[in-house]
Amino acid sequence: MMKNFKVLVPIITFLFISIFLYKGLYSDPTDIENANLQRPFPEFKLNDLMNPDKSYNKADLLGEVTLINVWGTWCVTCRVELPFMTRLSEQGIRIIGVYYDNAAEAVFSGVDLIQTQQDVKQMLSQLGNPFRFNIYDVNRDLSLDLGVTGAPESFLLDANGVIVAHRRGAIDERVWEKEFAPLIRQLKQGG
Amino acid sequence: MIPEIGHFALLISLVFAISLAIFPLIGAQKNIAELVGLAKPLVYANFVLLSVSLFCLAWAFYHNDFSVTYVAMNSNSALPWYYRISAVWGAHEGSLLLWVWILALWTAAVALLSRSLDDADVARVLAVMGFIAIGFLAFVIFTSNPFERTFPMFPVDGRDLNPLLQDIGLIIHPPMLYMGYVGFSVAFAFAVAALLGGKLDATWARWSRPWTLAAWGFLTIGITLGSWWAYYELGWGGWWFWDPVENASFMPWIAGTALIHSLAVTEKRGAFKSWTVLLAITAFSLSLLGTFLVRSGILVSVHAFASDPTRGLFILVYLLIVIGGALTLYASRASQVVSTHRYKLFSREVLLFINNVLLAAALLVVLLGTLLPLVHKEIGLGSISIGAPFFDKVSSYWFIPFSIMLAIAPFVRWKQDKFSRIRNKLLPGVFFAAVLTLMMYLTLGVDSFMNLLGISLAGWIIALTLYELFLTRSKGKLPLSHWGMTFAHLGFAALVLGIAVTQFASVERSVRMVPGETVELNNYHFTLAQVKQVEGPNYSSYMGEFSVTNGDEKHLLFAEKRYYKVQSSVMTEAGIDAGLWRDLYVSLGEQLEGQAWAVRVYVKPFVRWIWLGGVLMMIGSILCIADKRYRKVLSMRCAHEAEPHNQRGEATGQTASSN
Amino acid sequence: MHRVFNIIFIFTLVAFPALAVEEDYPFEDPQQAKVFSQLVNELRCPKCQNQNIADSNAMVAIDLKNKTYQLVKEGQSKEQVVDFMVQRYGQFVHYDPPLNWLTIWLWLIPLSLIAALVLFVIKRGQREQKDETQVSVDKLAQAKALLQQIEEEGEKK
Repeated sequence: MMKNFKVLVPIITFLFISIFLYKGLYSDPTDIENANLQRPFPEFKLNDLMNPDKSYNKADLLGEVTLINVWGTWCVTCRVELPFMTRLSEQGIRIIGVYYDNAAEAVFSGVDLIQTQQDVKQMLSQLGNPFRFNIYDVNRDLSLDLGVTGAPESFLLDANGVIVAHRRGAIDERVWEKEFAPLIRQLKQGG
Repeated sequence: MIPEIGHFALLISLVFAISLAIFPLIGAQKNIAELVGLAKPLVYANFVLLSVSLFCLAWAFYHNDFSVTYVAMNSNSALPWYYRISAVWGAHEGSLLLWVWILALWTAAVALLSRSLDDADVARVLAVMGFIAIGFLAFVIFTSNPFERTFPMFPVDGRDLNPLLQDIGLIIHPPMLYMGYVGFSVAFAFAVAALLGGKLDATWARWSRPWTLAAWGFLTIGITLGSWWAYYELGWGGWWFWDPVENASFMPWIAGTALIHSLAVTEKRGAFKSWTVLLAITAFSLSLLGTFLVRSGILVSVHAFASDPTRGLFILVYLLIVIGGALTLYASRASQVVSTHRYKLFSREVLLFINNVLLAAALLVVLLGTLLPLVHKEIGLGSISIGAPFFDKVSSYWFIPFSIMLAIAPFVRWKQDKFSRIRNKLLPGVFFAAVLTLMMYLTLGVDSFMNLLGISLAGWIIALTLYELFLTRSKGKLPLSHWGMTFAHLGFAALVLGIAVTQFASVERSVRMVPGETVELNNYHFTLAQVKQVEGPNYSSYMGEFSVTNGDEKHLLFAEKRYYKVQSSVMTEAGIDAGLWRDLYVSLGEQLEGQAWAVRVYVKPFVRWIWLGGVLMMIGSILCIADKRYRKVLSMRCAHEAEPHNQRGEATGQTASSN
Repeated sequence: MHRVFNIIFIFTLVAFPALAVEEDYPFEDPQQAKVFSQLVNELRCPKCQNQNIADSNAMVAIDLKNKTYQLVKEGQSKEQVVDFMVQRYGQFVHYDPPLNWLTIWLWLIPLSLIAALVLFVIKRGQREQKDETQVSVDKLAQAKALLQQIEEEGEKK
């Protein structure tokens, strides 16, 4: 009896592994959950992108449901995302930008702020401006605190500043309706 | 027209493979000689057909036939001809075609070299291999056809071969690796055929041994080449990354190593029968699992391959049929196997048993370490990474018992021995290990206990392996297989020594350099002489010229940063001065402002020993296969009488077991 | 052989970062330099396929490397830096998995296999001892001779 059981071990092990191999086929291994979900937005103190005399901190993000969008003019996907974002802001969603420099450029050759401001102005006038204001994440410390891996990334905050949803990559109609819109409805009902 | 011929040959080949899997098997089970006789002609025909198919694809590449989608995606008219040929296996579809061709090659070799075996037994083996071929042929034809055309519109030029693969190492690495992977199908087929035929005696072990050794040798050199390639091509000076794709090739290798040793016990002593069968099934199953992991893209790996769930699902179903089928067969038959052979606690059998348990534990660690991140995520615990820190930790413990046993085992007799008999023979090992360790400790100032231990274990293995060779040699002429074992064990020691020394003694500096500047590392002065622009056939490159001096020693190294135009990707080519005692390694990073460049320089002592170890192990396997006894076995009419009774054992023991 | 000793002699010398070139991540404290190099080799680039941040040139890897440098320079220990990164990027960012009820099996399964082996060896040793005390020495010798005879015949067949 014992021996009969022993010879079954290999096949059982194999079948057990197969279950996970099957499940693995339909899940994307690069889809890694952001570690900051369900946590309060990190503290920060940063200046406005267009107006360096003005500075912001966490309190400026509180009070209503807010979408934080990490983006840069150098990023192609952000460009694609802008028109949809603009439509969202027209629907009354508060969208705040966190401007994220191209890190390689910033480290190896340095970034020209004046040039960046011009690029931003031009791009936003062309494709629409969804942002109430843009926070300039000058050393990308805020982005690092948020666990950002690139641009674009978006975080949905409730009125108390807790991160309730996160998206790596562009947000389009489909993603919005599936992952963000239901949450916003829920938040608005609850609050 | 030519691609259609290749495609047609593939289709016919599938029909033949199906016939091969069915008719000879029925013939063998029901004793119908006509059906059994079909096996070999089908095998040879299949090999010819697949050769035609592979040749057609190579032809399309050579003649830049961009109307074939696969060629258009993976080649370019500016690509040198040798890379156009190796581009055949440069991506998914073609590498699968190579896979089935190699399977056909092994099958044909079995058919050709097993003339002295019972026809029905060979027919069973060939049928199992035919069955394996069906799945992969169907996979190629239905999901990954390399002959698909781009009609009606076809591109003027191709999208070029992935620049990472435009390299001599990558021309030979995949075929060698596949020879290894697929080669285990022979042992698998022998095991399954033995289970089907109900003949689980020592015979099947004797027949599987040379095939397993050959596959293992190929896999060894394939992995070694891959490691060497990563070292000079990725520009990070690393040689093993515990990447899922590397692990996928490492797992069958571990299983194969265990199999080689347990086959020896089963053949010579008739013990471990059921375990050896299981290992034979496992080794090939892990090859298939590796193919699945690489092709399905379910794990995050540096080697990005097309990930398509339907393709993955196809292979998974195939795995369930082949592996699941074999393991079910094993479960139903293996419990009837009884090993009557008896042996004492201190005997070669037990030491080889310990070897197998340790290898099985290593196998489980790699398997778990590779798959657990997937499980972890799927059951909702989030994404984790299991990489070098974990594997390095485990393997450093694992090396200790394994290396100690490895050096002792060849001294110990089969069946029963006394430790007091061999105790004195181990003294040279202790002595040499102590001397080597002391030497390294005094000269290198090693601060890591584990690395020091690694060095002394390498010394222990080297001294005892050579001493054992000397003792046995003095008793008479040695069979080649004994030399084979010696080479393989020395190879393992070289590997351990290489790893242990490289890990602690490697130094690197990552600096910003302007032409004319010098950086010093371990007394070597690396001077960036100039950076010039060089035009290659399908790339343009910045080539950094470094002169390295150290006293009278002077070397010139060229480190390149290549820009491949068609795929617009950047590759680094490290500048290396290779040596047995140390490598000098320079890699060119980003261009910084002005004339400055980011540069990494390394001095890596003993790093060559890692690959030297691989080469020695492969030579060992060749020597074992070349042993007279296999040729004798091959020419003998009846397999059951094949073992000449005056033949010496693999080592000292066998004839002397009568004390 | 002369060359071996030459090289070995060289190893003993420490690299002096005194020349004109600029180090990417300079440290005065060699201990910190060591911690830094361990960290960049153990932290995983969260955006790449499968690379540590030392080997990657992805933007996020550069930022993580700079942050690691900053934290190590501030005198934080290896564990503190790892915690800092895991807090922000999740366990995925560290190549050494955390210990929990699932990952413990990474150690338990191979260890139990080894334990089973040790048990087997001990049990077998005990059985052999029992066998030997039960059977008289004479009989054992007789049986051995017989067994050997049978075996030799078997081998000749």
